[in-house]
Amino acid sequence: MARYAMVIDLRKCVGCDACTVACRTEWDVPIGHARTWVEQSVTVGEFPNVSGTNWVAQCNHCDEPSCIEPCPTGATFQLKNGIVKVDTDLCIGCGYCVEACPYDARYINPLTNKVDKCDFCEARLEEGLQPACVTTCTGDAKFFGDLEDPNSEVYKKVYEEGAWRNENDNAAIGPNVYYLGTPEQLEIVKEKFGPREPRLLPPAQAWKNILKPVVLTAIGATFAGQAVAFFNQLRKGEEPIDD
Amino acid sequence: MSISRREFIKRGALTAGALTILSGTTVKGLNKKNFPKGWKGRQRVKEIPSICEMCFWRCGILGNVDKHGKLLKIDGNPNHPLTEGRLCARGNAGHKLAYDPDRLKYPLMRVGKRGEGKFKRVSWDEALDFMAEKLKKIKAEYGAEAVGFFPHGIQARFFEHLMKGFGTPNIVEPAFAQCRGSRDVGYKLTFGNSVGSPEPLDFENTDLMVFIGTHIGENVFTGQNLQFANAIERGAKLIVVDPRFSVAAAKADYWLPIKPGTDTALLLAWMHVLIYENRYDKEYIRKYAIGFDQLKKHVKDFTPEWASKITGLPASLILDTAREMGKYYPKVGIHPGRHVAWYGNDSQRARAMAILTALLGSYGRPGGIYLSSKIPAPKYPSGKNPKPGPRADGAGTVYPFGSRGLGITNGLIDATYDEDPYPIKAWIVYSQNVLQSIPDPWKTKEAIDKLDLFVVVDIMPMEQYLYADLVLPEATYLERYDDLYTVKNAKKPFAAIRQPIIDPLYEAKPGWWIAKETAKRLGLEEHFQWETIEEYLDYRLSGLGKTLQQVQAKGIVVYDKGTPYYDFSKPIHFKTRSGKIELYSQTLKDYGFDPMPVYEPVEEVPKGYFRLTYGRSPVHSFARSQNNEILHGYMPENELWINSTVANQLGLSDGEYVRLENQDGILSNNIRLKVTPGIHPEAVFMVHGFDQKSPALRLAYKHGASDNYLMSRVNIDPLSGGTGMRVNFVRIIKNGQPVMVSGAESIVPKFKKNTKTRTPKKRIVVPQAATEAGESEEGC
Ligand code: SF4
Repeated sequence: MARYAMVIDLRKCVGCDACTVACRTEWDVPIGHARTWVEQSVTVGEFPNVSGTNWVAQCNHCDEPSCIEPCPTGATFQLKNGIVKVDTDLCIGCGYCVEACPYDARYINPLTNKVDKCDFCEARLEEGLQPACVTTCTGDAKFFGDLEDPNSEVYKKVYEEGAWRNENDNAAIGPNVYYLGTPEQLEIVKEKFGPREPRLLPPAQAWKNILKPVVLTAIGATFAGQAVAFFNQLRKGEEPIDD
Repeated sequence: MSISRREFIKRGALTAGALTILSGTTVKGLNKKNFPKGWKGRQRVKEIPSICEMCFWRCGILGNVDKHGKLLKIDGNPNHPLTEGRLCARGNAGHKLAYDPDRLKYPLMRVGKRGEGKFKRVSWDEALDFMAEKLKKIKAEYGAEAVGFFPHGIQARFFEHLMKGFGTPNIVEPAFAQCRGSRDVGYKLTFGNSVGSPEPLDFENTDLMVFIGTHIGENVFTGQNLQFANAIERGAKLIVVDPRFSVAAAKADYWLPIKPGTDTALLLAWMHVLIYENRYDKEYIRKYAIGFDQLKKHVKDFTPEWASKITGLPASLILDTAREMGKYYPKVGIHPGRHVAWYGNDSQRARAMAILTALLGSYGRPGGIYLSSKIPAPKYPSGKNPKPGPRADGAGTVYPFGSRGLGITNGLIDATYDEDPYPIKAWIVYSQNVLQSIPDPWKTKEAIDKLDLFVVVDIMPMEQYLYADLVLPEATYLERYDDLYTVKNAKKPFAAIRQPIIDPLYEAKPGWWIAKETAKRLGLEEHFQWETIEEYLDYRLSGLGKTLQQVQAKGIVVYDKGTPYYDFSKPIHFKTRSGKIELYSQTLKDYGFDPMPVYEPVEEVPKGYFRLTYGRSPVHSFARSQNNEILHGYMPENELWINSTVANQLGLSDGEYVRLENQDGILSNNIRLKVTPGIHPEAVFMVHGFDQKSPALRLAYKHGASDNYLMSRVNIDPLSGGTGMRVNFVRIIKNGQPVMVSGAESIVPKFKKNTKTRTPKKRIVVPQAATEAGESEEGC
């Protein structure tokens, strides 16, 4: 079995957005949304004593994902290899997982009304290809592989070079995108790009146990349309219609 | 790297087990067929190798095409020796150029006034007949030299070939005078060779990289980015001189936030330290250079303290960085820069960089600048070109070191405007963007007014198209064959082909077709003796022992005969006048220029104003990608970088919109402020290429501010004819009111008095033999 992970070397990253455009074209991610995103030239200090970094982020395929629990339909799940996925047939676009992810790695695709996010390009992996962002990276700053394979680049970077996990008091859920960077770079990352607290929307908390079977039944009984309407209501914070 | 970047696991390595669910839900199996949904890789039926042209670097691409012939996605070509299968953001967004709904679709003939943008659609026959008739008439009346040709890139080579056959000497590219011309001049005067493209920096072996204004990471060539990042990973050190805290500066061991315009002072002080502390490569200099004693005397007083006062940099920082170079030579890679048309003293600054490179012994040595090679790709036999008359742009005459291969755009515009030395009656602009890439666009428009024929061959309806008499829609790089692309500046030199990935959309035509068809109408068929483009490419590839068909599968032929370094066991001849590296240039002296670089102060920034600086973004190319749907999405408009302390003093905050007014009272479009500690207080910075003024570019129209339209003045480099463009000053206008420190006032009245800046300081006329015509080379 494998445990997939990525290491991003911020020392090498030039913030050029090649990765994010490759991802966008690979997966038709609409403009304004992203599976992976870059911030170039994040600068702190006072002239001329400044330091800076570029920043790259995406779904972290965490050890303990906070996005799975709140999903009322089971559309979000995790593979044994660690990839956290969305089954778009089951997704009703309620957005609870979007709120629950402390890295803001998920978005609702306005064209499909389903949640979308990075899946480490699983389809490409199946074809024997690297994730699109890794293949195209102009700085050779992204590394993908199996953390359980001691010969893999990611293994070496994580266990031998000490690649760092972007965790803090808000969320420590074992992200599997690791970072290498200078101390100054990681300082900036901690200050500006640390995870937020996972938000569990009140209705999600209250309703999830009741709703899950209801929705699954609804889907099973091909009343999916109703279920979607139902959750759209819920998302807007309205009272669910009692059917 | 032990595993291939592209293939990381073999097909099927994800076992069925891997697809079972680890946690979270009660869903039972997976419906594999809808999962992952609609992935493009599965619709791909062909992967066609070719080369990118989202910028002029031409990285290797693979076009993924579906069964309907639609381009799904562009990947990098792993066979490309410099990019190894990677592409930048623009390269990845290339399909949106082909599918841009705003593209030029049909030949158009002007029906309204110039500038109105009123056209009628015509057939290719009508269009080419019209152009040929006009050209013939102009030639009969004024001579072939009355036709000016403005090409860019390999796509224009066939037409350039035609223009040479037609007989005009007036072929000009901004790659010289608006970009790297002065660098080529400076290095050629010193080493006998201009550095060429891509810069042959041996980052693989370098111990110390030195950038002066070079902003790799923002100014992107995929291959150079890669080499740079790998050098950083290897632990190579980095010195960055830049008034802006660029991406590269953020990775540097030493950032030198220099006062804009004072670089030559720094370079002289570095030389001083190396020489007077005995930290230069004595043997290399003794054997291969001339003029060391003069140089030593020349830099005697240029101490770090002296330079500190001028540059605003601490003397200790100047000293430390010089010592770092002294420690690591010859493995020091001083990047010669690319866009170096800054202040009008640029060839001399480039000379200073070349001399510094020589002192460190790093030219032609591992870790420094390696040597370019040759590629045996013969030219297709062609008719003999007529002997052209004298040039109008001043290359080789008014500007003695101006390239006669690339020409001087602004020289030709001046000549057209002044009708001096003779009238220019037609312009053919081919893949160039004359209003956004050459400063003083007002003058360019007035020059256009004087023409009998203005033809634009382009893909997108850029502002210039509004003024054209005839517009010819060119096929995109994804739809055509082009001339063979040969790269000599690579450790393993190579040739790459461009071949069609999709059929041309609308009525767009490839450049070779346009040129060949025009040739027929001009009676110049002897210059196009090949029947098909395939035959032409076969011929050129024959020198490499290949046929086109053999190259089509990989797209690249590597020619494994690079000799990247000098063999110091043999005598070395530099192609300079003396045969040696010229620290002291008798040639410059003879032409009345300083034989060794001197620091000439640039005009101080007036109180309340900022020096306008500009540069590149990794998601746009020049002024030509702003309408690309994806790239527009990333960066719909540019921002104005302003120092945070200054912004605080002026009460300006991040994200607010302002306008800029320059010294000539010219007002920019709105631009959003980026308040940052990462820029020198004297300067503001914006990414070039915004505020597109053609309404036919529906996304890019009027987004952001145009740096080019704020460049109403330039300082001409007397050696090269290049336009120093960082000589424009701007003040900030917010809600219609100037925002200035107290006591400052408008400088417009003062500047009004001296409006003409284009006249060169020294009008020296020298024989043409003073410079060699270089082969026209890649873009800027
Ligand atoms: S640097 Fe980018 S835009 Fe330029 S040729 Fe390479 S991939 Fe294309």
